Amino acid sequence: MRIAAEKTDLVESLTIANKAVSSRSSIQVLSGILLEAKTEGITLTATDMEISIRTPLRGRVEETGAVVLPARIVTDIAKNLASREVVIEQRMGENQMEVRSGESFFMLHSLSPADFPQLPVFPLDEGFSVEKSAFLETVDRVASSASRDETRPVLTGVLAHVTQNTVKMVATDSYRLSVMETPIEATVADKVQAIIPARSLTELSRIGAAGPADVIIIVPTENQVLFEVGGVWLISRLIDGQFPNYRQLLPESFDYEVTVDKTEFLEVVRRVGLLAQKNAPLRLRFSDNTLTVSAESQDVGKARESIPVRYEGDDLEIGFNPEFLEAGAAAVAGPTVHLKFISPLRPGLIKGEEDDFLYLIMPIRLSD
Amino acid sequence: MSGAGTGRPKAAYRAIAHLDLDAFYASVEENLDPSLREKPVIVGGGERGVVSTANYIARRYGVHSAMPMRTARRLCPQAVVLPGNHRLYAVYSRRFKAILEEYSPLVEKVSIDEAYIDLTGTEGLFGPVTRTCRAIQRRVRDELDLGISVGLATNKLVAKVASDFQKPAGFTVVRPGEEAAFLAPLPVEHLPGVGPSLLAQLRDRGVVTVGDLARIPENLLRLSFGEVGEVLARRARGEDPRQVTPRELMKSISRETTFDEDTTDTALLESTLLHLTEDVCRRLRRQKLEARTVTVKIRYSDFVTHTRSHTLRRPLDVDEAFFKEVLQLFRTARERRYRIRLLGVGLSNLVPRSWQDDLFDQQLPLLRDLDLKLDAIREKYGRNAIRRGAAEKE
Repeated sequence: MRIAAEKTDLVESLTIANKAVSSRSSIQVLSGILLEAKTEGITLTATDMEISIRTPLRGRVEETGAVVLPARIVTDIAKNLASREVVIEQRMGENQMEVRSGESFFMLHSLSPADFPQLPVFPLDEGFSVEKSAFLETVDRVASSASRDETRPVLTGVLAHVTQNTVKMVATDSYRLSVMETPIEATVADKVQAIIPARSLTELSRIGAAGPADVIIIVPTENQVLFEVGGVWLISRLIDGQFPNYRQLLPESFDYEVTVDKTEFLEVVRRVGLLAQKNAPLRLRFSDNTLTVSAESQDVGKARESIPVRYEGDDLEIGFNPEFLEAGAAAVAGPTVHLKFISPLRPGLIKGEEDDFLYLIMPIRLSD
Repeated sequence: MSGAGTGRPKAAYRAIAHLDLDAFYASVEENLDPSLREKPVIVGGGERGVVSTANYIARRYGVHSAMPMRTARRLCPQAVVLPGNHRLYAVYSRRFKAILEEYSPLVEKVSIDEAYIDLTGTEGLFGPVTRTCRAIQRRVRDELDLGISVGLATNKLVAKVASDFQKPAGFTVVRPGEEAAFLAPLPVEHLPGVGPSLLAQLRDRGVVTVGDLARIPENLLRLSFGEVGEVLARRARGEDPRQVTPRELMKSISRETTFDEDTTDTALLESTLLHLTEDVCRRLRRQKLEARTVTVKIRYSDFVTHTRSHTLRRPLDVDEAFFKEVLQLFRTARERRYRIRLLGVGLSNLVPRSWQDDLFDQQLPLLRDLDLKLDAIREKYGRNAIRRGAAEKE
């Protein structure tokens, strides 16, 4: 097996494949990237058994074959090479491989391609396509609300629902919940719904953001899904289970409504939030056409800042985790943010004007 | 927190010392620069602009801690004012604690310059407790070059008052049975817990000394001050059941109750469990903690004892969240038809409360609100003033 590639192309493809390299697997071969050189082209494949990625590598196949590259060291080498062209070669019957570039020469232990897991086979002709920009924007604004707590697997996923003209995604870690529905052009026959690990969608978004492709091809099966964008495949397992009925969490009406300037509000939340450390809440006090944001951390200090707002009615004081509040306001499109509340003990709602995005957030009880 | 199982020695009387470093920050500064010993020294200033510590020379001019710096300088313009070296003070404080830990595993550091030590049962190792306290005082003087005042008594309350009795370099021993007599002549504000507002109310009732307070019948104090009144009555008599608890040992909160007569009455057993649960949850909230694990303990009439635990998905501090778990644990753990002698409920896996509530359990914040209101009523009118219909009164 021998291939030649430009350094920049190699680094780019390795970076994509590395997102699926297992960092702590006990299976040694999963710490590698499978390089396959065939007459039709070169591909790099990596998998951590949850996500698999296959990406093309632009280059010249001089001798067909396959090798498993030790992912981390090859990536580090590629990034540090001085010359433009890189040759990777493994001679028949050897378990060592060479990386050559200009005057540099590396001899590395490689792993056996026979041990590398096979990717599942997908019925590619049963897939459908969606507009890339609308799909990934929905991912970017929703997925960060998913849970990282593996003890509740369903909440580590994003509930995605695609019809011919909309995509809707829902994610929650049980402290906040994001819902967004976006108009989209999709060639789906009827409608498709699945719970996709948030991490898979986030990686898809990073891969997709870089390339020029306009569409993503999606091939769902019963327990896995394949995404293809710009020639890169991302295969993810699906999460089995019942996504919580989020509709019943959304209150029917709210008693308090305030509109704030998004940039100004975010800046104040970030500044004052510096003093909300170690689980301390950020306090929002609405009174007399003024919103006062304050925070206090034991042994550190306190902060306060006021913004004029249009607010009449009874005073309201409500506390939130500053990161959750910031994430919700930041995910709103457009220049203004609507905040809606019922009471300091009931969930609050954050939404924008320009699109169909909702962020529901549970308060932190204040201690006096 | 029950004492059982923590390996505390059984003795007729406890031997508890309170140790208080004299003018701690100022003394450390004097060690750094011995020429300061002849001068008034004030450590403080900083952001809040108050005195942290003054040495005894400065105190003669009326300077005391927590006084605004400006007042202190006016009272004692010639004082040497130092900003303080808190990292160094922490080093001294750790060495102080290390000395104490050579004499007992039960050392409770209350602040940077004071600690309790439980010396019960150490006589076999170190000789009479009084001598051990003298040895500690000497070692702190020799090894750290710091003055220290020691109070030795049968409980924390009296030990604390005793250490303050002859400061600096004081050494006061209150023998078992002499607690009330020792406290009686002291002004009532020397009792820990008697702050300015309580003091004013006591003065209105003609109470000047601790002895005056001790003569008031306990039920009258309870009528006037609720649960605080009960505590006050006990303290006036020099009684204090609190244990010396090393901070890291605060790992669980539990309560148990032994029935007057062993019983199989399920309604009585379950309502007792609810009452115990209410009680541990209330103490949990008072400590500003949340718990993840709940344990039920059953002791049968033949003393066979079973415990069973359940761990929640996330820590909570709401009665209602634990009721269901406790009853379920009890029903699965009760495998024998024997009569039951004792029931206990414990909370563990404790973390500082966050009060970040959950969208999927929107009832919880409302139930906690109820709990906190009930807590406030009990704080004022006593533990049994109000309870849930199903929870059995003791």
